[in-house]
Amino acid sequence: MDERFTLELRDISFSYPARERRQNFSLAVKHFVPSGQCTAIMGENGSGKTTLGKLAAGLLRPDAGCVLYDGEDIAGWKLGQIGRQVGYLFQEPSRQLFTPRPLEELSFAQKLRGVPQDEAEDKATELLRQFELEHIKDNTTYTLSRGEKQRLAIAAAMVAQPRFFVLDEPTTGLDKRRRGILAETLHSLMSKNVGILLISHDCAFVDEMQADIRIMDGGGLVDA
Amino acid sequence: MTRKLQRTVRLPDPRVVFALAFVLSSFAVVIRGNLWLMIGLMAVSLLCAVCIGVDFRQMWRRLRRLLQLLLIVSILRSVFAPSGTILLELWGVQILTVGGIQIGALVLLRLGLFITSGAMFTCYSVRVLIQGMVQIKMPYELAYMVSVGVRFIPQLAEELKDSLTALQLRGVVIEELKLKKKLSLYTYLILPVIVSSMQNAKELAMSMEMRAFRAERNRTSFYALSLKPSDIVMLCGILAFTILMGVILIVGVDIF
Repeated sequence: MDERFTLELRDISFSYPARERRQNFSLAVKHFVPSGQCTAIMGENGSGKTTLGKLAAGLLRPDAGCVLYDGEDIAGWKLGQIGRQVGYLFQEPSRQLFTPRPLEELSFAQKLRGVPQDEAEDKATELLRQFELEHIKDNTTYTLSRGEKQRLAIAAAMVAQPRFFVLDEPTTGLDKRRRGILAETLHSLMSKNVGILLISHDCAFVDEMQADIRIMDGGGLVDA
Repeated sequence: MTRKLQRTVRLPDPRVVFALAFVLSSFAVVIRGNLWLMIGLMAVSLLCAVCIGVDFRQMWRRLRRLLQLLLIVSILRSVFAPSGTILLELWGVQILTVGGIQIGALVLLRLGLFITSGAMFTCYSVRVLIQGMVQIKMPYELAYMVSVGVRFIPQLAEELKDSLTALQLRGVVIEELKLKKKLSLYTYLILPVIVSSMQNAKELAMSMEMRAFRAERNRTSFYALSLKPSDIVMLCGILAFTILMGVILIVGVDIF
């Protein structure tokens, strides 16, 4: 991968619309630039970690302030354009799995983007091998275990080869060995200049990733 | 008692609203070609909705897009069924006609009547509605199933929205896709939502079984509905209205 991707959140404020459940929550971040190759956001439940991650990935639009990718404001960008730069892993993997078979799961978005079928399936098979999912490639996606779904969702997020990843609790449902495999994969991505924003409670995994740790509390970064 | 449950004590008995919604939506289906009668029915329906306390601002927020779609459907219906005096004609094609507009308006009013009838139920808590259904001798399981179905609608909408977001984050710019690919994309979206609904239903069923749902043949209710004199007056009013409308439709009395 060529140059390092820079993500910047500037003078961000955000609160959920009145109709949503979290209407008492508001987030305010003066300035946030994930430093280093991997930055971990930690903090208590409800402190705003996921909201910050979603703002960084363009899933939520801030009330004020701006999110910059390589210095460019993403306010007018379409989600598909954002997805080519930043990959996002949801807390609940089922919400980002679409097809009945794992192999198809990793190839269909490529086909929609115009990648030839053979090339798309080769890449999908390679990712299935990397995440030890080859043996279930023809199983039904919806009946996979939580850990298998999580690995498949991570693999699916990697298909578009984004330059930055926002991973929301990526180790949920993974056993120790698979957490190790995930850490290896993420380290290999980092060696290719792919940045990572890790939202996690898993201190051991954060240590393993040698991440720069930032703490959130009450909708703000406490160490800012 | 929850706040909504307490508020519903002051509302008409839900059975009155069941009867009203049934009568209004039945006439909405039965009336054909009589625009003024349909307008009259819509006016009655809106008056009832206002009296019951339907929050029209909230309804507008929730159904804005659907209403826009209904308006488009009505306009299309009007364009594709031209009759009567021509109001607008382009290149020999009748775009707007008096008869077409009347048909379009009838479609819009008919759908509006269904929405207004349904909106009346939003003033009641699910618990009260189930109790109403049970007390009109609908099997409890069926009544409960309806209430669970209603509860899942916002969840389905949220899941569909999340799936669309997740799909776009795979780098798929929907606007750039050709029609064929766009259609295949929607099949990818719908399938997980259906599967997730079935899984939710299965988990809910298991959790209900674990709490001994249907363990006893007859259920008792702490909260039971009883018809007040005002409810009986309203039921009589609905009956009189039904007879009046029936006479107008059968005899063809042209009161408008």
